[in-house]
Amino acid sequence: MTTIAPNRVRSSAGRLWREYGWAYLFILAPVLLFLVFTLYPVVSALIMSFQQYNIMNSTWIGFDNYERLFQDATFWKSMRNTVIFTVCTVPVNIIITFVLSYLIYQMKTKWQTFFKATLYLPAVASGVTISIVWLAIFDPTNVGLLNRFLEWFGLDPVIWLGQSKTALFSLILMNWLGSHGAGIILYLASMGGVPKSLYEAADIDHASGWTKFTRITWPLLKPTTLYLLVTGVITSFQVFISVYMMTQGGPNFATTTIAYLIYQTAFQFYEFGLASAQSFVLAFLIILVSVIQFKYFSSDVEY
Amino acid sequence: MKTRSKTIFLLIAAACLIVWSIVTIIPLYWMLVGSVQDSAATASFRPSMLPEAFSFAPYERFFAKTAAWRWLLNSLFISSVLTITNVFFASLAGYAFAKLKFPGSNAIFWVLLSTMMIPAQVTLIPLYILIVNVFNLGDSYTAIILPTAITVGNIFLMKQYMSSLPTSLIHAARIDACSEFGIFWKVILPLAKPGLAVLAIFTFVASWNEFFWPFLITNSTEMRTIQVGLASFVFAESTDFGAIMAGASVGALPMLILFFSLQRYFLQGITIGAVKG
Amino acid sequence: MARVEFRNVRKQFDDQNKQTFTAVAGSDFVINDKEFVVFVGPSGCGKTTSLRMIAGLEQQTSGDIVIGERIVNNLHPKDRDIAMVFQDYALYPHMTIRENLSFGLKNLKKPKAYIEQKVQEAASILGLDDMLERKPRELSGGQRQRVALGRAIVRDPQVFLFDEPLSNLDAKLRIQMRVELGELHKRLGATIVYVTHDQVEAMTLGERIVVMNKGVIQQVASPTELYANPRNMFVAGFIGSPAMNFIDARVEEERIRIDGAEFVLSQDAAEGLKSYNGREIILGIRPEHIYGEDFAPGVSTEHQMQAHIKVVEHLGSENLVYFRIGSRTVTAKVHPETKAYSNLSKQFIFDLNKARYFDPATEERIDW
Repeated sequence: MTTIAPNRVRSSAGRLWREYGWAYLFILAPVLLFLVFTLYPVVSALIMSFQQYNIMNSTWIGFDNYERLFQDATFWKSMRNTVIFTVCTVPVNIIITFVLSYLIYQMKTKWQTFFKATLYLPAVASGVTISIVWLAIFDPTNVGLLNRFLEWFGLDPVIWLGQSKTALFSLILMNWLGSHGAGIILYLASMGGVPKSLYEAADIDHASGWTKFTRITWPLLKPTTLYLLVTGVITSFQVFISVYMMTQGGPNFATTTIAYLIYQTAFQFYEFGLASAQSFVLAFLIILVSVIQFKYFSSDVEY
Repeated sequence: MKTRSKTIFLLIAAACLIVWSIVTIIPLYWMLVGSVQDSAATASFRPSMLPEAFSFAPYERFFAKTAAWRWLLNSLFISSVLTITNVFFASLAGYAFAKLKFPGSNAIFWVLLSTMMIPAQVTLIPLYILIVNVFNLGDSYTAIILPTAITVGNIFLMKQYMSSLPTSLIHAARIDACSEFGIFWKVILPLAKPGLAVLAIFTFVASWNEFFWPFLITNSTEMRTIQVGLASFVFAESTDFGAIMAGASVGALPMLILFFSLQRYFLQGITIGAVKG
Repeated sequence: MARVEFRNVRKQFDDQNKQTFTAVAGSDFVINDKEFVVFVGPSGCGKTTSLRMIAGLEQQTSGDIVIGERIVNNLHPKDRDIAMVFQDYALYPHMTIRENLSFGLKNLKKPKAYIEQKVQEAASILGLDDMLERKPRELSGGQRQRVALGRAIVRDPQVFLFDEPLSNLDAKLRIQMRVELGELHKRLGATIVYVTHDQVEAMTLGERIVVMNKGVIQQVASPTELYANPRNMFVAGFIGSPAMNFIDARVEEERIRIDGAEFVLSQDAAEGLKSYNGREIILGIRPEHIYGEDFAPGVSTEHQMQAHIKVVEHLGSENLVYFRIGSRTVTAKVHPETKAYSNLSKQFIFDLNKARYFDPATEERIDW
């Protein structure tokens, strides 16, 4: 036997590096960015929320910021607005999305593509552009498209964004009439994934169209619905651009959302500590609601 | 009988879809039509639904009153850089997480992913202080680009996508004496092209449309992106309907054109990584 | 060309629940230079893991792997002088066939002329000359299989590794490729390590076969040896189709008792089974060693027993007859002229010279 002396399997550090060094190198850049631009800021914001923040010397004030914001009427108003906005938009949007998807699904492939594309289109325009256009649509003078539409039916013009009664509703309306294209595409993809044999089996069992819908279609699309629900809530809790562009939170805080309040507190009043506290309340809410949705919905999602 | 009621149902469905499509499209249509009517900037002007009094004057006014060319250039540059960094680094990391089972990969991945739940508002202030006061980068391209150069969401999508590629190809390449980076570059990337294209398109559109961070971090007119510049223009010029619509169109048209030319990627791409994965 | 040796090689994985799973438990074997060795066993038996450890795609937990004269434990796959053919071929879909074939040589920085010559050689051996500029997706399954072979051939490796290369082909093509692989082995004169779960493939291709189960090597032997003298019940049951029959039996002096019938043992067998006197054993007999009494040319009619036929399957060249002995179903592969149908009570002849005996506790063959 001319084999050289035993060359034991290399151990620990050297072997780790030889086998996995590249892998660590491949994730290095995102991990570094993550540490600097996500992890550090989160920790820093948490500390800040317990401070009277000042660039030069911050003072530790315990829960004062949190106490302050819970006693702040504007904060509660912004919470109320955010919740109303979310509750009014997300479920309605999902229903609209679902109905549209269901109708599109009945069409031939060519028409499916056409409607998908058309209904998706506004989603590629920026929030700023969409806000500008809707600002003009809601315009209370003769420019406003919506009032001209009402005029057609002999109705009086409405000051959509200028009065607290209708301002928040206007933002909600704009959201309803926006693009549901992404959701439609997801729904259509999962509708296509429902095995045809299930419907055939149901036909053999003399199931009605409604039964087929409630027992097959809806349950099998639950993962998609859950996804749309969670992402929809997260996005609408953070609604900002339309508020900033169209109402600046007014009139009389009627459209001030939490995200807008945080922006104001931080970058108009430079109360960094208080704004951080507000942002953690928002984060807590978002995480709480997401977890509840997952718990509540996903128990019977698997199939 | 059955086929007849089915036909009626289909007709009603089509009618509903057409009405809703019109409602969805009207704002964009109105924007485009409004941007090519010479409004003469009077308060009594009522923009028509049809392109009467066709004129490019609103565009001329918009470009004359603003630094829009510069803003467009800024947006193009920033979006391109963000697209390249995100596509390259997110696919590299996604590949590592999906295919190279290194110690700690799951833990690291879940730590990254779990922070996606934290809203941007939380990190905003420290991020602002970090970039402006610590790194002294305020009002620069670097400041706009760096925080979103590689997003966790994109890494997640690429991990999902890379998982579906056959592992045996990686093994074959390893036996074919390919270096680990070579495997990624010469074997994985060409295979992942459809996924990369989708990621590139969505990143480009999202970066182009991004408003808040560039708005926060830029001061000078020259550093604004088109979205930030557009917003500032609207606040300054609340009366010139034509110019405002022209501006809105300028902000959106590049993306609309991109959408029409790459429709397939947009419509199929959304399903990558979403739901179940 | 070269030999391959495993010296007490172990491989353990941690699964998702942090449970340690032993894929290969202390393997020891030597594959000689220019030998065609097949690893066979059910899925999860550790055969593919063994192959991948030879390739260097997995690192063993302990033990040494030798290729040629070198211990290759810490060598990268590219430095082990091996080539591998994958189950799904693993052709690079975005490269032409020519690029697929030359990719490895290019990475090894071989001169252009050399690469060109190697690719031409491999292409003409495998009949791929006309397809070099095509992409893998334009090729049929059999052609892709050839390209995968070609990619291994151009490397001129010391050892070829095959990971179930024929399992994605249809039955007809598989048989054709099996023949070609055998010829290729002769032509290349290479050491080949071949993994399959198909025992027919193993029997036809392998000069020696390594049978594995649950991470443990059961037996290493030539096909005929494996078939005739399986070392334990696993090997006996795994090799051969239909599988060997196992019949509960009891040794009584120089006889064995099977479900009422009693057979006198040959002198050798009686001697060998002496220590089992009065104990249960398992009699293993292959289906072709059971005959109907009406068609048993040249077989001693000494060991006969009556049985009630349950089912008969007609395969044309032979009939498979199923009947019960005790709680076990027994299969006999009989000549098609043997009279047999369901519910017939028939006299069967057992060729006990070809039978093997196993210890029911250890499942090992009882040797003498």
